[in-house]
Amino acid sequence: MKNRLKVLRAEQDWSQQDLAERLEVSRQSVNAIETGKYDPSLPLAFRIADVFGLAIEEIFLRD
Amino acid sequence: MTEPTNSGRAPRAWPWAVAFVVGMFGMAAVLSSGAIPRDIGFPLMFLPMILLVPMVRAAERSQVAKGCVSAAVVRYNRCFMLAGFAYMVALGAAIHLHTHFTLGTAVTFLLALLPALAIFAMIWVMARYLREETDEYLRHRAIMAALGGLALVLGLGSFWGFLETFGLVSHVPGWFTVPVWAIGMGLSQLWMKVRGA
Repeated sequence: MKNRLKVLRAEQDWSQQDLAERLEVSRQSVNAIETGKYDPSLPLAFRIADVFGLAIEEIFLRD
Repeated sequence: MTEPTNSGRAPRAWPWAVAFVVGMFGMAAVLSSGAIPRDIGFPLMFLPMILLVPMVRAAERSQVAKGCVSAAVVRYNRCFMLAGFAYMVALGAAIHLHTHFTLGTAVTFLLALLPALAIFAMIWVMARYLREETDEYLRHRAIMAALGGLALVLGLGSFWGFLETFGLVSHVPGWFTVPVWAIGMGLSQLWMKVRGA
């Protein structure tokens, strides 16, 4: 699954660590999601969407 | 792309892990050869166990530097190490008592249970980690590593069993499953690291 996490994070001028702290996950998790190595669960995807104030489908895209 | 951390070069745990595995298997080979009496040799098995302390400390510092640590990980590392020490102490005590005393069936049963209790503790520590870990990606990695360990135990155990049935290899005690499982977990973690998963 593709995602716009890196772009959205850059727009906010957040590091991976900043985003990880907001999501209460490890930086490694943010990196894995951002690079498409790991697809988050629905609850975590909702948390990511909430952090950016967007809908899930505005962040995660079909391949 | 992974962002650099400010922690500098992360300490490496794998040299300690390699030294531990080599030390344990080396001591086991020496004991099996009969070069050292078992009641003297088993206390020497504690020497490689000491390597677990710097290994766990280096692993924790490395995890902090890489941003892949959680409170559950720290608790898991420390409890698992304690259970490992308890296993060695229980195993050494059980073998010493079994070698030097004539024991009844009930006491022998309890002696066999002693190191197994430490193994049960390790399994419980692993289960507690999976229950307490709130970071789903770290939990996913731990589950994949545990499945890798299970695959090695089942695959190698079955193959060895057939070899034994056909008289090609000697018998291996069932308690070897735990170290083989742990090695499988380590190899799985290494594989995930190499693949960048």
